[in-house]
Amino acid sequence: MLTRQISVATPIFLLIFLIQEAVISQFRLPGGGFSILMILALTWAVLSQPEVAAVIGFASGILMDLSQSAGGPFGQWTLIMLLAGYAISYIGYGDDNIHANAIGIVFFVVVANFFVEIAYLITGALLGVSIGSLGQVVITLFGMSIWALLVSPIMLPVFTRMHAMIFDSRSSL
Amino acid sequence: MRKGGEGRARLLLVILIVTSLFLITLDLRGVKVLDSFKQGTQTVLSPFQRAGAVVLNPVKNFFSDVTNLGRTGNQIEKLEAENAELKIQLLNRKNADAQLAQLENILDLAGTAGYKVVNAKVISQGSSQSFSQTITIDSGSNAGIKKNMTVLSQFGLAGVVKDVYPNSALIQLASDSAFKVGARIAGTQQIGILSGRGNRSASLQLLDNSTTVKVGDVLLARGSIANRPFVPGVPLGYVSQVDNSAGAVAQTATIRYYTNFSTLGVVAIVVSGPTSDPGDSLVPKKPQVTPVPTVTVTVTPSPTANN
Repeated sequence: MLTRQISVATPIFLLIFLIQEAVISQFRLPGGGFSILMILALTWAVLSQPEVAAVIGFASGILMDLSQSAGGPFGQWTLIMLLAGYAISYIGYGDDNIHANAIGIVFFVVVANFFVEIAYLITGALLGVSIGSLGQVVITLFGMSIWALLVSPIMLPVFTRMHAMIFDSRSSL
Repeated sequence: MRKGGEGRARLLLVILIVTSLFLITLDLRGVKVLDSFKQGTQTVLSPFQRAGAVVLNPVKNFFSDVTNLGRTGNQIEKLEAENAELKIQLLNRKNADAQLAQLENILDLAGTAGYKVVNAKVISQGSSQSFSQTITIDSGSNAGIKKNMTVLSQFGLAGVVKDVYPNSALIQLASDSAFKVGARIAGTQQIGILSGRGNRSASLQLLDNSTTVKVGDVLLARGSIANRPFVPGVPLGYVSQVDNSAGAVAQTATIRYYTNFSTLGVVAIVVSGPTSDPGDSLVPKKPQVTPVPTVTVTVTPSPTANN
């Protein structure tokens, strides 16, 4: 069962990573743009059990660390996404108001996206990564949240179907 | 959840956290294995990025064009006139022409200063999710590019080579908040440090408290030892605002970069610096005001029927 899940989820993550790096990164989107990989990982984390969400966060974090635009040390995104995945799933676990409700999932993903970026800033500051002026950081934070708000509802049906297919749940919307 | 399952979940979480911390420690200690990992990923990704750049080239400037629309509102009338003329060119070979123009200007700039350059196309704009400003180009170590080389745009400094792969390279843009370059003011030769701010503006910190700057002063790169990371004389930008804080030790100013980082299509990497400092020879020429011919109309009263 686990082997099947990993063997199906891995190419999906790699494909989304490729789309992020080869297609979405071509555009310098206003307000910092969005990370489709992060949205996928957070959406799946909302729909999964906490330990599965932690593994999803870990895998997506490794890929985000491999991205050439990752400014911090290797492992920073891994740690943040792992904890974010676990936390978001732990908070929403067993709550059907979230799992069975598209608006609830989008809300969770957008809020998580915002806090993940803040966590990146804080850990980056602790690890000595330069983050820029406060004004620019605020613009980027809100810009990314707005992009997540725009992109999440569009991608939600696809991502939930993929999740249902791999994890054999009834959470497709 | 059963007790055993809960225990396993906790163990899994702890293992993953320890692994992440282990990876961070390895990276901060400079272990090469992780660099090879990243390099391998980039080697695999670069053909896809190159293909993506070709396919998406006609539409990738759409968002930056929309963003700049408000700021250029006062120039609409002027641009409309130019637009009619440009439309024919745009229809024919819009992207090729634009890149060629950029390349010509870069070569003019490099030729004037005596820089030996390698040209490259931008194949990826980078993401801001890590609050960094980077681009990826389609040339790497196979073309003679090395880490810490100066990167030029058609207007001046674009950034510096941060990482090199066989067929691609990662460029840290001058707009990146971690970017710093030694600068001097053309003419007065006052020196300072220019720091990126995450957008097209930068902040200049003068090193001497007895000197002053004024709006419009042009900044050039001071240059580094052995011309790396910066060759001397590259135009950086101009002073757009002077900050006169009463308690400041040295004067600071806001700089507007010449390079528009959101429209970079072609860049040049300086692989060999000039034999002598080009001085102020690269300072952009101020636009010449073309005199408008005046027309004098003399009105002669015509005889009317009543007279």
